[in-house]
Amino acid sequence: MTTREICSLQFGHYSNFIGAHWWNLQEFSFSFTPDDYSEINNRVLYREGLTLKGQPTYTPRVLLVDLKGSLNTLAEHGELYDTSSSPKENEIPWHPNRIEVKEDVKKPKSEFLQDLDSGPSTTVNKNYNFETNVKVWSDCLYTRFHPNTINVIKEYEHNNQDAGFDLFMQGKQMWKTEKFEDDFSDKIRNFVEECDSLQGFHVILDGNNGFSGLGSNCIEHLKDDYDRKSVLAIPVLPSYYNDYSNETDEEQRTSQIKDSIRVINSALSFTDLAESSSLFVPLCTSKDGWRQPGLKREFNHVQYNDKLMYHTSAILASALDTITLKYRLREGHYSLSDLCADLNLHNRKLAAASLCLPFSFNEGADLIECLDNWDGPLTQSITPRCTIGTDRMMQLITLRGIPEDRLKKPYDKAGTQKDLPAYRCKNVNEMLNFYMSCTTFGTATNVTNISKDVQSIPILAGLHSCNEISATIESLHTEAKKIKVERLPQFTSTGLEKDEYKECLEKLLDLKECYEENYLL
Amino acid sequence: MAAISLLNPKAEVARAAAALAVNISAAKGIQDVMKTNLGPKGTVKMLVSGAGDIKITKDGNVLLHEMQIQHPTASLIARASTAQDDMTGDGTTSTVLIIGELLKQADIYIADGLHPRLLAEGFDKARAKTLEVLEKIKIPIEINKENLTDIAKTSLKTKVHPNLADVLTDICVDAVLAIKQENKPVDLHMVEIMEMQHKTDTDTQLIKGLVLDHGARHPDMPKRVTNAYILTCNVSMEYEKSEVNSGFFYKTAEEREKLVQAEREFIDQRVKKVIELKRKLCNGTNKNFVVLNQKGIDPMSLDMLAKEGIIALRRAKRRNMERLALACGGIALNHLDDIQESQLGFAGLVYEHVLGENKYTFVEECKVPLSVTILIKGPNKHTITQIKDAVRDGLRAINNAIEDKALVPGAGAFELTAYNELMSFKDTVKGKARLGVAAYAEALLVIPKVLATNSGFDAQDTIVKLQEESRLNPEPIGLDLTSGEAVNPKEAGIFDNYIVKKQIINSCSVIASNLLLVDEIMRAGMSSLKG
Ligand SMILES: Nc1ncnc2c1ncn2[C@@H]1O[C@H](COP(=O)(O)OP(=O)(O)O)[C@@H](O)[C@H]1O
Ligand SMILES: [Mg+2]
Repeated sequence: MTTREICSLQFGHYSNFIGAHWWNLQEFSFSFTPDDYSEINNRVLYREGLTLKGQPTYTPRVLLVDLKGSLNTLAEHGELYDTSSSPKENEIPWHPNRIEVKEDVKKPKSEFLQDLDSGPSTTVNKNYNFETNVKVWSDCLYTRFHPNTINVIKEYEHNNQDAGFDLFMQGKQMWKTEKFEDDFSDKIRNFVEECDSLQGFHVILDGNNGFSGLGSNCIEHLKDDYDRKSVLAIPVLPSYYNDYSNETDEEQRTSQIKDSIRVINSALSFTDLAESSSLFVPLCTSKDGWRQPGLKREFNHVQYNDKLMYHTSAILASALDTITLKYRLREGHYSLSDLCADLNLHNRKLAAASLCLPFSFNEGADLIECLDNWDGPLTQSITPRCTIGTDRMMQLITLRGIPEDRLKKPYDKAGTQKDLPAYRCKNVNEMLNFYMSCTTFGTATNVTNISKDVQSIPILAGLHSCNEISATIESLHTEAKKIKVERLPQFTSTGLEKDEYKECLEKLLDLKECYEENYLL
Repeated sequence: MAAISLLNPKAEVARAAAALAVNISAAKGIQDVMKTNLGPKGTVKMLVSGAGDIKITKDGNVLLHEMQIQHPTASLIARASTAQDDMTGDGTTSTVLIIGELLKQADIYIADGLHPRLLAEGFDKARAKTLEVLEKIKIPIEINKENLTDIAKTSLKTKVHPNLADVLTDICVDAVLAIKQENKPVDLHMVEIMEMQHKTDTDTQLIKGLVLDHGARHPDMPKRVTNAYILTCNVSMEYEKSEVNSGFFYKTAEEREKLVQAEREFIDQRVKKVIELKRKLCNGTNKNFVVLNQKGIDPMSLDMLAKEGIIALRRAKRRNMERLALACGGIALNHLDDIQESQLGFAGLVYEHVLGENKYTFVEECKVPLSVTILIKGPNKHTITQIKDAVRDGLRAINNAIEDKALVPGAGAFELTAYNELMSFKDTVKGKARLGVAAYAEALLVIPKVLATNSGFDAQDTIVKLQEESRLNPEPIGLDLTSGEAVNPKEAGIFDNYIVKKQIINSCSVIASNLLLVDEIMRAGMSSLKG
């Protein structure tokens, strides 16, 4: 079967953190031995290439954007294609004695990255103390990128508290600069041109800063130029911001203003996404997402520090890896456009995601008992201010890592399992479907199960279109409405008009209404 | 911040003075970094980042953005230079130097107790006067190859070494003249710039046609054809399932299959229309057929086309639709309902070139190409980028000249003339603002001074020498960078763009004044916060 490719785009530092983990995750489970047959078709997200020297390459089909100073020791064009670093003096087309070399101190690569360079096998079972050493996403990146992948915005600096890329409108303006739009859309086109049967685009974008505006304009561009391709947008919200560690009153006030700015950005971003994406799924590892991210979501057996992007992004990455599986398989016809169509009925463009990480049960136990004894919902919502209910939903559930032989005991050894109605289910898929039909009402569930998934821990993840999403939108609307944009010179100076903002708020309400009609599926 | 200063007005004044000092020293600092880059004898900077990224540039604007300058003053200056670059494509180093010099001059007067507001007032008067001088000194030109070559050459020789500058000058001038249509503004987008990491910089060439950065995606399609009809279109030839009609839950496998069939049939019909036309026009002749599609073409469609010997490219650039029509004739079609020969373009030669994973398709030998391609070659990515920047600037310089219908004598001649005129104008200005005029005049001299220093001559001596010459000679006088002597730039063919100088004059005094009036701006900022 031909590969149905997807082109990935990542806008912003948190998005790139999630991206980095996601690519790592995929590559750790690549199998290079032909008999180790994987159900996943990696070519959906990866591409084969060739360097000028004729060496084959295998890299993600991804373009990403970040700010100046965000890459630490990672070179913009990567190391795969261009091994000749410094050009010889006679290669520079200028008078040889009139060349000034300004060399920054060479940054030493971290131990982890050095070990990677000398062969990935050396990194196994070594403690690199990532929690303190990973400052930017490239510090933990295993994957090697195509030279086109990284795009750095030179006009703004990473982590610059005073002149950051903090506003939605700044991002919109950045896209419109001829250099950015031309270069970037050309790179998209170059990747798309290679594809025989493109399904569409994955766009991970920071959900509340300048990158939201940049990504939003890019999605509009995708809609114009690739009108029949689906765009799945994932606006992501961190659980912690540097300005929260404030001491003085002044700093605290600044932080509050920054929270307001972030709310405005999210509001503007959501209304744009509702218009131009096929489906968008906001993600955050904290409950509230905006104004203040709020309490962190708890996952059984997972300990994480919600102040570390390194941690929270890893959780969201494994969710994405699982959520998107159904249309990345070798077999089957289900495509990204099916997924979008299934979930975005009646203009419900916003969907919620949920995760159970890991989906594990006791040694020796079977899925049937596990489900029978399960207390509460199977998964935990990772969409802000959204508690996923059980009524009238469209949902997609994906389970990986539970082998078929852990479904139930054979008849002669089954004992009380036999008495359960679920015992008649012949495979994991069927049983999970059955479970869903018993625990929900008026809900259409589409279950996928990947049992042969060697390296990873079992994960269950879901995408849901449900009435509860109206609460998500309502809370964003309420927060956004409290803010008087005309009082924030940052916004007015970037050309956000009061009326425009008002319109945005109205559109949020329109979106919310789509979730309130009391129709049955 | 606001709270403290409201309680203590003195603190505010002190901070304003400190802010001014900071602004001045920041502007000076940036000037120091950029100084060496000015003019054809300036230096090129090769910046190597801590991660090993390399950027080679001589352009003030690029430098400002590449370097790690974290300072609000710097970002204000950077914005001025970006604006300069956006509007004119040139003069960014001069902008930075003049802003720095205006502040240096101001520093001297402010130390003597002059209020910044009076200086700013003087700057503004001087600005108006300098614009008058510019109007007087500009030389109206006829749009011909010779005049355009002069301006392009002056510009390119400040970007790349002379051998390459000569090659690029011809390429740029020929490119613009090729696409220029009588009584219409030139659209520089119709000069496509393509790059190939291959051979050496002087192999850069002008293609009288188009080079596309992709090739046919079917192994059996010809790699080279002559006498080719060119069909340009924006019509999907790929089976795509639309979001609306999927709905996984409700469909049986048969229903689904039927839908696929119907859609496939629909696409096949489109492809067959192309094939029909190709057969009609080409079979039995020595003519060939090429399809350049902005939309996708899937493997099945490619297969059908390949069987007919048709070359088909998918996902062409949006802008190439327009370029192709101008280069080869024909029109870009949005549907294939009744395609006819008259809608097609024509090219004498179409062939493919492969470099690593990159494919290029050359569409050449077009009859009257109104869109052309500059194909940049170089041994590595850095050199290519440098040449690309230079070519862009060269094209802009030529286009500026066409729009201005005038040029300005270069080599410091304009700045010297303006200096002289401002010094006599100064005496007619009442009050202390005249000091601002003098400071402005002095600041303009930074251009000839730095041009001299960068060529190894003494700045002061040079200025004296040039001023003596201009007292004897009514013509504008500039500096010959090889001899260090006075030269008539008109005779030496050294010209700058009128619009570039105009923009420099306008933006420099505004930015410098903003930096000077920092205390007032701070106050205004605060009141807007309060309000
Ligand atoms: N051959 C030349 N001899 C003397 N001066 C020149 C010559 N070519 C250019 N210049 C001067 O160099 C200055 C432009 O230098 P350049 O490096 O391009 O800086 P900018 O970024 O300001 O355009 C102009 O003042 C121009 O008149
Ligand atoms: Mg110049």
